Amino acid sequence: MVETAGRQDALLAQMRRGTLQYCVLALLASEERYGFDLVRGLAEVDGMVTSEGTIYPLLSRLRRDGLVESSWRESPSGPPRRYYRATSAGRAALEDFRREWSPFRDAVNTFVGGEDER
Amino acid sequence: MKPTADRLVDDYLKRLDRELSDLPRARRRELTDEIAEHIAEARAGLEAENEVEIRNLLERLGDPAEIAAEERARSGARPRRAGPIEIFALIGLLIGGFLFVVGWFVGLVLLWVSDAWTTGEKLVGTLLVPGGLVPAFLIGTGALGGYSEVCGATGDPATGAELSMVCTGGPSLAARIFWIALSVICIVGPFFTTIFLARRMKRPAATAYQPSPGSA
Repeated sequence: MVETAGRQDALLAQMRRGTLQYCVLALLASEERYGFDLVRGLAEVDGMVTSEGTIYPLLSRLRRDGLVESSWRESPSGPPRRYYRATSAGRAALEDFRREWSPFRDAVNTFVGGEDER
Repeated sequence: MKPTADRLVDDYLKRLDRELSDLPRARRRELTDEIAEHIAEARAGLEAENEVEIRNLLERLGDPAEIAAEERARSGARPRRAGPIEIFALIGLLIGGFLFVVGWFVGLVLLWVSDAWTTGEKLVGTLLVPGGLVPAFLIGTGALGGYSEVCGATGDPATGAELSMVCTGGPSLAARIFWIALSVICIVGPFFTTIFLARRMKRPAATAYQPSPGSA
């Protein structure tokens, strides 16, 4: 029983992890944001991010994959900030995901959606 | 209150840096800098900076080990690289004993100092086989005795019975099996342990997951 629960937790963590990058790309598609701002944006929605610090490894990964780019800007207060923005490749990856995601989400909802969906 | 807050943040960043110790230096630096900036930004936004607020802030940020695990997973999940400590530990344990025996103890100390292995694995490294290949060498050369057989022509002097070759002091079947088993353990054990430890060298916590659909 405990093991099943553990596996379920791991599965949910993987789902969250797999989709998180598209949430990041979506936030960075229309405007550029610096790290802290981006993390706050994600953390505002419940259930998306459990540990804020884990966003930074993801940002680095996206940057290396060429899906986001970053540049340093002066900050009105304090030291310069690194601003992130989705590249055209990043926006294309987001669009691909959107096309797949909507039917997938609807399909899952058809079966496991709330009472009102039946 | 301020010094406590600074100390908490310092501790956190130090722990993070330690957790990232197996990553390339540049990346480690970059990530700790980013987290430090995040903390600075978050602190600047606090209305009142007190210990509780700082602790909450760091908790939201997450356990340094978790961040490090995420970094390894996202950066390609390379196995932890063997550092000089690990390499010398393995060499010391295997053949260090031939260096006036001290070499093995050096290997042993390095084994226990390294954080690349669990306690159970370290016990295997310690007990299989103490001295590394030295015991096998000693058995091979007969220096460790093993068993000795005394064979000689004996007869019953009283009856003058025929002389016959009799071996005394020879091992019983059980003793033979014991010595053969011991020899095998002493020879195979150290190699097994070396390979075992080399393969068990701590892997990143999150190797199973390899995402990057975006990079395809």
